[in-house]
Amino acid sequence: MRISRRDCLTGAFGAGASLALSGMGVNPAMSAVHDASKEGQHALFNKFKNNVILIPGKYNGTVSAMDLSVPETMAWYNFGRSGIDMPIPHHIAAMPSADPYKGFDFYQTMQPPGAPYVNENSPEWRDRGDFKMFKMRYDGSGSQNSISVVSDVSAATGMALGVHVSIGVGPNAEKYVAFADGQKDMVLITTIDDDPKIVKAFRADYDPNSRELSISHIFPDGSTGKFDFQGRKGMKTSHEAMLGEELMPADPTAVFVDAFTWHPTLPLGAILIRRHGCCAIVNTETWEPVALLSTAKGAPDHFNLIRQSGYTWTYSIPSVLTPLHEAGFITSGQFFLACNNVLQNNVAVYRSEDPDPMKWKKENFVEGFGTKYLPLHMGNVPDSRWVFFTIWARKPNNGFICKVDPKTWQVVAKWDTGPDPHTCDCTVDGKYITTVYSGNQSGQSGLVVIDADTDEIVARLPTAAGAHDHVVVPESWEGLKSSRSTSV
Amino acid sequence: MFPEGLKHGAVFPADIKLVNEKGEEQTLGDVLNGKRTLLVFFISAAPASVEELGKIDKFAADNKGDTQIIFANADTVGVALLGGGSVAIPETVRTINLIKQEKALTQPMFVAPNNVFDANGLSNRLGFRGLPTSYLIAADGKVEKQYVGTREWKPGDI
Repeated sequence: MRISRRDCLTGAFGAGASLALSGMGVNPAMSAVHDASKEGQHALFNKFKNNVILIPGKYNGTVSAMDLSVPETMAWYNFGRSGIDMPIPHHIAAMPSADPYKGFDFYQTMQPPGAPYVNENSPEWRDRGDFKMFKMRYDGSGSQNSISVVSDVSAATGMALGVHVSIGVGPNAEKYVAFADGQKDMVLITTIDDDPKIVKAFRADYDPNSRELSISHIFPDGSTGKFDFQGRKGMKTSHEAMLGEELMPADPTAVFVDAFTWHPTLPLGAILIRRHGCCAIVNTETWEPVALLSTAKGAPDHFNLIRQSGYTWTYSIPSVLTPLHEAGFITSGQFFLACNNVLQNNVAVYRSEDPDPMKWKKENFVEGFGTKYLPLHMGNVPDSRWVFFTIWARKPNNGFICKVDPKTWQVVAKWDTGPDPHTCDCTVDGKYITTVYSGNQSGQSGLVVIDADTDEIVARLPTAAGAHDHVVVPESWEGLKSSRSTSV
Repeated sequence: MFPEGLKHGAVFPADIKLVNEKGEEQTLGDVLNGKRTLLVFFISAAPASVEELGKIDKFAADNKGDTQIIFANADTVGVALLGGGSVAIPETVRTINLIKQEKALTQPMFVAPNNVFDANGLSNRLGFRGLPTSYLIAADGKVEKQYVGTREWKPGDI
């Protein structure tokens, strides 16, 4: 007779069997949620109860769900099972769940491995991997935890994008999810149901001769209801601009769209454009661009709209003082923050409370990063008392994580967590910051947990496979505002 | 971010390093050798950029006259991460040979090492961001014309 872990803990038989197994020296806590209360690490990790962290393994082709309070991997999935040769799980966002141990949904993007991190110049890599967006489901309701694919959003919509994914909040909660990609310079908004519907799609292009940037609505084929941008179709550049390489030569029209971030209280969102250091603010009721923020220090607050023709909005970009990497909103929505990098390394602070983004002004800058350290990602906490940033640096420098006080916009703490630091997130109670570092895709790598107020690093866990991103499953739609939605 | 780049009449720097299809290092001056030249910088990572080489190659068959045409891959942006030029350049030489074979190109191809992190790196020095960028260089080494992006080539362009 086969005894499952969950069966062991249910009913009289379970109690008896559990005792028997315990006496045999077998781990007694054989449930789908592991009981670590008798284990030595319990005192350290128990404080993280209800925090499940999703970790994509960029170079092992998997995504895993970790119960931080044990800690153990609850389930994992290899995207090779979806038929992808050399899958590169890239960015991730989780839907809220009141009980993440029982189940939750999440989105995973992936991109082909044609990046210099792997070996861009090796012709053998050119046809491997794929652009994909999957809706995934963790199921912990039975005796065998599992992660499975719910829907292939790229197949359902005909558009495959491989970089950031973010889920709508505030006025856009329980409605939409956004995907973006800087190799195709496209953004796709879909519904969040298991059978995703196309809501809106954008494409951005630059004209280097007229120095104009155009943002256009693009539409699916009327006969199929789908786009024709699966796989590598629509790709301008065969590898994503690496960190700090926004100035690399590329297709002349390339702008390196990277993400769409959602305003937490207003019907607005931002299309992040790395190469030209700007963010298109979009009205999420009409899906029309309503402002193009120019985030560099010394630049005007906005680039000017010079014409609108049909579904294309064209802006003049006479000069760019610096590219940017990511940008997003603080949880309260009071500020929009843009991580300028390469030519300027600072974080621009726009006040973003006014419903008219043309009235948003740069009020401040977080500075002091020098020329070597590049602001990259931002992480929020629920009450907006701090903002956290990943400050990346090229080898052989490690980079660091820093904490910024939004009352003064000064860096008040920083941590050298490890080489090649990536995203920051926070536990559902907002007490702890989680962050991953990937060892430049091959070396030292791990997940670090930091007390957001005492600044102590309270835990460090290994992560194989070069985690380039992670997310803590939020407990509610309100909690999603400090997760992968307002910022990336 | 968008440097003005070389203007009409400027002397094109002849000291630019190129690596030929055999992996041998040369300078642009060696290759120009006093000949009127269309120098096409491309990036193997941009499909439109690679497709343009085929268009130019076909156009050149009937229109190049005494002008020599050379293709230079400036896609070595990952040099630092790959462990330096000693690793990246031979890989990129393999890439240009593969492209030449696949696209049945007839013009000579080169790798133009480019470090975007360096202010004196090729693309920063010449001021190009979008590829293909093509320079028509006169026999006296001065820039005659510059073309950014893909185009429909017509007689008189070269």
